[in-house]
Amino acid sequence: MRASRTIPALALWLAGALGAQQASRLEPVTGLRDNGTGYHALVGARVVTAPGQAIDSATVVIRNGVITAVGRNLAAPAGARVWDLKGLTVYPGFIDAHADLGMDAVPQGGDVGPTHWNPQVRAWFSTTSNLKDDSTRRVALRSLGFGAALAVPHQGIFRGTASVVNLSDAGVRERVLRADLVQTIGFQRSFLLGGMYPNSTMGTTALMRQTLMDAEWYIRANAAYEASGRAVLPPERSEALGALASAVQGKQAVLFQTESEEEYLRAHRLATEYKLVPWFRGNGTEYRLIDVLKGRTQPLIVPLNFPDAPDVSSPELALNASLATMRHWYQAPTNPAQLATAGVPFALTTDGLSTLTQFLPNLRLAVSRGLAADKALAALTTIPAGWLGIDRTHGTIAVGKVANLVVTDGDLFTQDASVRDVWVQGTRYGVTRPPQIDPRGTWTITSTDADGFNATLRLEGPINRIRGTIERAGRRELPLAGVRVIAETGRLEVTFNGEPLGYEGTVLMSGAVSGDEVYGWTSLPNGTDPTFKGTRTEAYEGPARGTVAQRVPVIDLPFIRPMIEFGRASVPEQPSLLLVRNATVWTQGPQGRLENADLLVRAGKVAQVGRNLTAPRGAVIVDATGKHVTPGLIDPHTHTGVSSVNESGFAIVPEVRMGDALMHNDIWMYRQLAGGLTMQMVKHGSANPIGGENVFVKNRWGMLPDEYRLENAPRTVKFALGENPKRSPNRYPNTRMGVQEIIRDHFNAARDYRREWQRWEREKTGIPPRRDLRMEALLDILDQKLLVSSHGYRADEFLALVRLAEEFGFRIQTLQHGVEAYKIATELKNSGVAAVVWSDWGAFKLESYDATSYNARLLMEAGVVTSLHSDNAEISTRMNWEAGKLLRSGVDEIQALSTVTNQAARAIAIQDRVGSLEAGKDADFVIWNGNPLSQFTRAEQTWVDGRRYFSLEEDARTREEIARQRAQLIQAILAAAPASGTGATATPARP
Amino acid sequence: MNSTDRRTDRAPARSMWRRAAAAFAVVLAAAPLSGRVAEAQVTIPTARQSQPVALRGATIHTITKGTIANGTIVLDNGRIIAVGGADVVVPRGAKVVDVTGKHIYPGLIDAYSTVGITEIGSVDVSNDITELGDFNPNVRAEVAVNAESRHIGTSRSAGVLVAFSTPDGGVISGLSSAMSLEGWTWEEMSMKGAAALNVNWPDPAGRPRRFGGPPPGGPGAARGPAPKTYAEQVQALKDFFAEARAYRDAQAAGQVVRTDVRYASMIPALNKTIPVVVAANTVSQINDAMTWAKAEGVRLVIRGGRDAIHVADRLKAENVPVILTSTMDAPQRNYEGYDGGYNAPAQLYAAGVRFAIAGGSGGLYTYRLPWEAGVAVAFGLPEEEALKAVTINAAEFMGIADQVGSLEVGKQATLLITSGTPLNMTSDVIQAYIQGREIDMNDMQKQFFKKYLEKIRQQQGRIAM
Repeated sequence: MRASRTIPALALWLAGALGAQQASRLEPVTGLRDNGTGYHALVGARVVTAPGQAIDSATVVIRNGVITAVGRNLAAPAGARVWDLKGLTVYPGFIDAHADLGMDAVPQGGDVGPTHWNPQVRAWFSTTSNLKDDSTRRVALRSLGFGAALAVPHQGIFRGTASVVNLSDAGVRERVLRADLVQTIGFQRSFLLGGMYPNSTMGTTALMRQTLMDAEWYIRANAAYEASGRAVLPPERSEALGALASAVQGKQAVLFQTESEEEYLRAHRLATEYKLVPWFRGNGTEYRLIDVLKGRTQPLIVPLNFPDAPDVSSPELALNASLATMRHWYQAPTNPAQLATAGVPFALTTDGLSTLTQFLPNLRLAVSRGLAADKALAALTTIPAGWLGIDRTHGTIAVGKVANLVVTDGDLFTQDASVRDVWVQGTRYGVTRPPQIDPRGTWTITSTDADGFNATLRLEGPINRIRGTIERAGRRELPLAGVRVIAETGRLEVTFNGEPLGYEGTVLMSGAVSGDEVYGWTSLPNGTDPTFKGTRTEAYEGPARGTVAQRVPVIDLPFIRPMIEFGRASVPEQPSLLLVRNATVWTQGPQGRLENADLLVRAGKVAQVGRNLTAPRGAVIVDATGKHVTPGLIDPHTHTGVSSVNESGFAIVPEVRMGDALMHNDIWMYRQLAGGLTMQMVKHGSANPIGGENVFVKNRWGMLPDEYRLENAPRTVKFALGENPKRSPNRYPNTRMGVQEIIRDHFNAARDYRREWQRWEREKTGIPPRRDLRMEALLDILDQKLLVSSHGYRADEFLALVRLAEEFGFRIQTLQHGVEAYKIATELKNSGVAAVVWSDWGAFKLESYDATSYNARLLMEAGVVTSLHSDNAEISTRMNWEAGKLLRSGVDEIQALSTVTNQAARAIAIQDRVGSLEAGKDADFVIWNGNPLSQFTRAEQTWVDGRRYFSLEEDARTREEIARQRAQLIQAILAAAPASGTGATATPARP
Repeated sequence: MNSTDRRTDRAPARSMWRRAAAAFAVVLAAAPLSGRVAEAQVTIPTARQSQPVALRGATIHTITKGTIANGTIVLDNGRIIAVGGADVVVPRGAKVVDVTGKHIYPGLIDAYSTVGITEIGSVDVSNDITELGDFNPNVRAEVAVNAESRHIGTSRSAGVLVAFSTPDGGVISGLSSAMSLEGWTWEEMSMKGAAALNVNWPDPAGRPRRFGGPPPGGPGAARGPAPKTYAEQVQALKDFFAEARAYRDAQAAGQVVRTDVRYASMIPALNKTIPVVVAANTVSQINDAMTWAKAEGVRLVIRGGRDAIHVADRLKAENVPVILTSTMDAPQRNYEGYDGGYNAPAQLYAAGVRFAIAGGSGGLYTYRLPWEAGVAVAFGLPEEEALKAVTINAAEFMGIADQVGSLEVGKQATLLITSGTPLNMTSDVIQAYIQGREIDMNDMQKQFFKKYLEKIRQQQGRIAM
């Protein structure tokens, strides 16, 4: 104890070393130097030195911006300015690991110089170079307790570098702690920067991939240039690519700014793919990925962006309230607590709040909903300090650290406390003024003047909202109309209506308070102004400062994925053996349709179909007597479950991949399962002659996006012909002729690209060529590794593409939509193209006017592999009825069902996996209550990989559970809504 | 080409009539292909019935008077003159058609369609559905019905023989016309030109709508800024009805000097001689429309009715019928079951609400009407109720039950011969009669089939196998 009472020499040395920053100040002083002592002793406070560690009645000594002593009951050193902080609490200064400090200005006319061809690529942008005073944001942040922050850029996709700065009032040169520490990337492009490409999730991801590869190439290209002795011309200059060099070499971290669960998963995948050192700015939905995050230790910075409750104040509004929205309202405040419980390290940020004033209330809300106060403090101090590389100087209150402190008048995490002062590097910034006088209590007023009166004055309530009464002897107690305290001058002013006391108007009293004495004068309605004096006879003992408590009832909301209606608590079991008994089994394979047949499934694969199969020991038995069993239905053309459909920024975009845009929370997947759909090809849109790469999705509802993908799936790319790709007036092409020509031109470009690479491989001279993902995708098409799946309506345009394919040697796997496919059925057959068509959709646009419901029939007549598709979420939930419509065109039942099962699989080359119930294929099947082609039939169970993802019984149970949760959440919202005469919705409920 | 020729085409001698279209293909394959294929490229309206026809041997689904096995139905002069069993006396000179093993149903009725007034969805000039302005009670669909529309033929092929072509848009969209889907001109097709007045109930949750302008008013009508809020929009509707009622009364009193085409067109609706069909889907829309209609004293039919089940008690108590348009629509709220649209009819039936089912997909797909009703059967509605929902109920609500909707003596001979229930794609519509005419079952989709089947035949030898 004694040792701690003296200031160690080491600390003095440290103070000197850190103080050197001031000694080495570059700018000459104009006028007089400011040589305050910089020597302070903060005495008497409870000092929380680090998360979980506190010293009562502590002293903190500061010299030249550095803490030189901390300890209990330390005497303030002679010469230090003493700050009496008795009754107050001191925390280490907070660090905002993701702060908005006004880095979002875009220069008029856009960026200049050799930056990057794409205005969204601004990796060259430096928050250090562009640091400006921004006093409004800086002071606002500091007033919340922050002494340092990571200033992040906001514009573009590659946004530039973030820098650590302190939040003092010093000039920008003295504020930078770590210049350009990390690169930042976001998935949401900035409209301020302009540019057409990318305008989709998959285009954004493709641009990220290409840029990261280009950055790596840029290093090599410039090295080759130097190595050549500058005998050739240098590569194209790009400040952005140059700025990314450290990041792609793993020497600089990359901070991904994510706005959703999916963006986090995408960012993580990309970082892994390109071996980046990733940091993540989260988005408040981390609790939905808690199992994924468990064990991950990459920096994760989460916001406190808790949503307002939806309006449920009338029965009709309540009827419309979605479970997903209400659940998020209830659960978002538990997000930090859930991360802490799972042991996931995280920092907190003010980013994402609509106003900074929400920060402290939301922080306390998070604590009231289960976040331990020391974890909250760590998330604002030690954890960000460590990640930002300033933990030797910041994050705790310890000898040798810089004096970043937060002084509060209570427990900031659990009580409705105020920040009094914030110290940044030894400088104190006042936030809320301490009450220099506190007039609360009971006063006896005696008038020294004949005109005056004697009374009892009672003052109470919060210090900043004092209210009170006055009681003249023998009369009733009157409320005061106004109370005003001018703390600096010790003045108290009260007013009240004097009529009950016999005065005709308002009485004004003004007094000077000094301890328990007051002296002043009164202004009476009759024009006299008698003096008075008063004595405090009783001190005010108000209630202790309220602890912020949980305001919502406890509701059991089990973890579900996705966290929306009909999400699952877990992935369904996969029985190792399963026997479906006694059904009409439409195998859609060589066994045909079998009555009273059994289906045996082993570990998710079809083992056998036949009559009277013996149930192996331990098999799960499903009695399907009287039911029909078919393969799971397949839709080769949907746009379900992706966050974007079209990348229309360029006419030719085969480098974009729909797999990058997958989401796991599209409720349509559940509805598809309810209608027997188990497999779909999720396609790029039709805005481009050559669109993006499609993705094969299995309806494993309840898993994560990447788990939806069909393993080892073939690769297909979307083409589009006709009205859609030609309708952008300012983008080539504008005619069907141009559609064919731009495709031709790009294949020629791809061939040139290949020749350039071949030359380089042979000669290795000059600047190495760069890998171009667009050209590589085009070459994959030419090499038939990427098969063409083309949107088209009319016979003419499609015939032209067939001939172009013959000319270039690429393979058209399917014509999709093919409203006029029947007109070229023989040509399709001869070129080996499968047709993926609608049962009967047409006439919705000019090029679909010649639709006929006999289309599939005619294609079958010509021997074309024929499949149906929906291109529509709603239709994809009832593909059996779409197939049923074909019956009226003269197609038999097995053929009709084949268009949504085995022939659909064959059309898109996944027939080895799915589409029929044959040994070795995936156990994707549907149990129907009748003939699946009948309008009077419905699906009862849908199985994927031998797991039952849908059943009517489970659906009914889930609906009951949804109803329970909705009812409880609506009640919680109503209970949490502040009572108000102006309608419960005037102020949104806080959970 | 007359009807006899067509029947020969269908080779009745060998026909199992299992699949009409399949049989058709067989004929084409077997018969020498000549100019008759080209002839098949047109669909020709049939002449008025000039000879009595007796259809014998089928199961007759009268809808209102039970089902008759091995029945006989006699059509003369466009009307049904007898329905009964095998003992029904066939008039002398009648053409007797043996339809043993088949089924006869009344022609299906689409209570809400745009057939004939739309041709190609995204081609604006082919659409005559929405007139400019918010109050168009005078526009009448029938005059814009294109008798040559391709969609008429496809509707008939599915058994839809009567459709209410209906304007849309604004607050008062105009007058639905009951169209019989056979005839050379709209005039010949029209059964009732001013069949129902259509109102689009404002959306309380919607953004303030951009009004086409202030409501037109006669002398004394308020002229102010265009209504924006829900309350203002409802008030504008009330004002319009009040003004129309004043016009009617003034006219009755001989006080109308200048004709107002809009108010004049309101009189049948005000006098309850035709229904007011109000498009309303949400709970508040349906409730508020009912409150309004009661005060106005009009014959209310709710169309849409997505949330009708939440208002079922009141709909039943006030005997307000509903035309459902959303049986195949996805749930509007994520927490609702995937089958919310599919099972709405079964729920309304259980709750005792009267309803019809109309196609929800517009004039291009009027032929899907049977499936809009059929889906309700899969989700619990008795099949006979589903049939009523597309026949007699539609006819009753829309005021043409005296003419069509069931197989009863005196009604129009508008019926279907099928292989089974017309509500299911597993059965076929083999032949239809409209007002006693045995219609040409050809349509544009079949014509493309015939034409391009011929292409395949010609090129079959060149198909690489």
